[in-house]
Amino acid sequence: MDPAGVFATSFERDKALIRTRGQWIALIVFLVALAVLPHVLGPRLVAISTNMLIMAVVVIGLQINMGYAGQINLGQAAFMGVGAYATGALAIKFNLPFWLSIPLGGCAAAVFGFIFGLSAVRIKGFYLALTTIAAQTLFHFLILNLPQSWFGGSNGLTLEPAQIFGFSFVSETSIYYLCLGVTALMVFGAYGIVRSRHGRAFVAVCDDDVASGLMGINVVRTKAIAFLIGAFYAGIAGALWAYYVRFVAVDQFTLFHSIWFIAMVIVGGLGSITGALIGVFVIKAIQESFVTLGPGIVAQFPSLGGDVVFALMNVFLGGIIAAFLIFEPRGLMHRWNILKRSYRLWPFPY
Amino acid sequence: MIDFVNYFINGALVGLLYALIAMGFVVIYRASKVFNFAQGELVVFGGFIVWWMVASLGLPLSIGLPLAFVAAALFGLLVERVFFSRLAGESVFAMVMVTIGLLILIRGLILVLFGPQVRSFPIIFPLQPVIIGEILIPRSLLIGGVITVIVGFGLSWFFNRTRAGLRMTAVAEDHQVALLMGISVKRSIAFAWILGAVLSTLGAVIFLSGKSLNFLASDIGLAALPVALLAGFEAIAGVLLAGLIVGIIQGLVTAYLDPIVGGAIGTVFPFIIMLLILFIRPTGMFGWKTIERV
Repeated sequence: MDPAGVFATSFERDKALIRTRGQWIALIVFLVALAVLPHVLGPRLVAISTNMLIMAVVVIGLQINMGYAGQINLGQAAFMGVGAYATGALAIKFNLPFWLSIPLGGCAAAVFGFIFGLSAVRIKGFYLALTTIAAQTLFHFLILNLPQSWFGGSNGLTLEPAQIFGFSFVSETSIYYLCLGVTALMVFGAYGIVRSRHGRAFVAVCDDDVASGLMGINVVRTKAIAFLIGAFYAGIAGALWAYYVRFVAVDQFTLFHSIWFIAMVIVGGLGSITGALIGVFVIKAIQESFVTLGPGIVAQFPSLGGDVVFALMNVFLGGIIAAFLIFEPRGLMHRWNILKRSYRLWPFPY
Repeated sequence: MIDFVNYFINGALVGLLYALIAMGFVVIYRASKVFNFAQGELVVFGGFIVWWMVASLGLPLSIGLPLAFVAAALFGLLVERVFFSRLAGESVFAMVMVTIGLLILIRGLILVLFGPQVRSFPIIFPLQPVIIGEILIPRSLLIGGVITVIVGFGLSWFFNRTRAGLRMTAVAEDHQVALLMGISVKRSIAFAWILGAVLSTLGAVIFLSGKSLNFLASDIGLAALPVALLAGFEAIAGVLLAGLIVGIIQGLVTAYLDPIVGGAIGTVFPFIIMLLILFIRPTGMFGWKTIERV
């Protein structure tokens, strides 16, 4: 609901994403903060921020696929890997510039995802989730067993830094701006997709695929498109990852990474792009604080050894997924909306 | 020729092992319609309990092993009490997502409680293989296969012929309706998880006997998925046949295709089978065809 005194008088106003002056100010402040961030924070925090930006793109893709269209996807990391490998191979073999290889990487992942989305012709629900697990194993197998000259096999791919007009994205700051630019574009695109005809079709299919089929939505096509878009986002993120780390290997894209992405979506809130961003931020921040506090924890419990940090992180993450599903299945975004609503209604209870 | 027979028999026995693990999966599915993605982690956890009782505490096998099964059952009950009893009546989606959370949680717990080191699992079954003519059969797998077949038919009888088993099927169908019929939803789901945990521990004993154990052994949970799928998630005795088929195919593929393609095709092949089943006949060989009414 809108705050008091804000009324939409035209259709454009009614479907606008940013509805009040306060929201404009908040958005601009947020973007400016993101822009000056690398000049304020230390190199480690900038690296974490870059990481978050890349994760944000993957998780938004998963959000569209899972939160909007309701198709559980346990292979998002594999789709990301396809994007990373495609970009890497294109950049190395054909010397494509990054502004061409990143979208192409996205397209490669989209095709891969689309193939698995097509299985929606025959199956639905959790059976569909199983095909995405198969995608994960197949990806692993194909990369390791295709000829080594294609994707480097078990050695991985090593990339040259992205270059444009003689400027190369080597420093932490420059790569941050590259990721920021791409992520901003992708986030904006995601908002557009979910309130378009396709986005509404996704939500309808998620709520009830039989009913939406009766209303004239092509259910199978909608599901396949959801996979296509989700995988495209994953592919773009994979491409960014390839240029950021400049080394691509299969163990960067395992089933566990997919599960982390799902955790981000659940914590942030299903069915909200902003929720996906919040989920990425919260989970990543927790993850990084575990890593930072790690030495302290190890010093406290020397008997447990260095792996205890990783272990505790897993316990915490698993616990948090379960806790959110039990106590707040709609995620942090829902809490925030409740808060906002009560603030706008104040002093009335409803 | 003798090689072929060897691969065939070993494949079949490994398949029966998959079937046992898939059974843990199917039991939970039958009783609550939940895909338990944490199956592999349950297996490893069961394995670590056995290791802890027998190797670490030094209890004799005859005491340690039953105690380990009791501990596994308690763990299953704990999982149900902490997570799934709160989710009674919630959507299946939430429950399945919780199992994904459990997958990570249990893996972390294993690392915290037992450490990341590779442990040597106690030798439960004698190591020397059974030799018939020129055929070599690992003893643990042979005994395990026999146990699997017995357990499979026993569970099948339980779920299809006894009141308690049918009650669990009713719960899986619809929580509210089951409650209205006077069936305790919580008790059914708790029983399913206890059974699942115990079966996983049994699987761990057969799988790991005399081998090394660390948290990476959980891959077998995913390897058992195609078996459950081929049988159909509702079919308990069918899992045995599906296990045999997948195991034999995998054994032969590993033996004859691996040298040509270059490694690892054996581990991926079950997933290729899985994809084929999903496309051709998603309900599996013996799964129930559900008719959806709108």
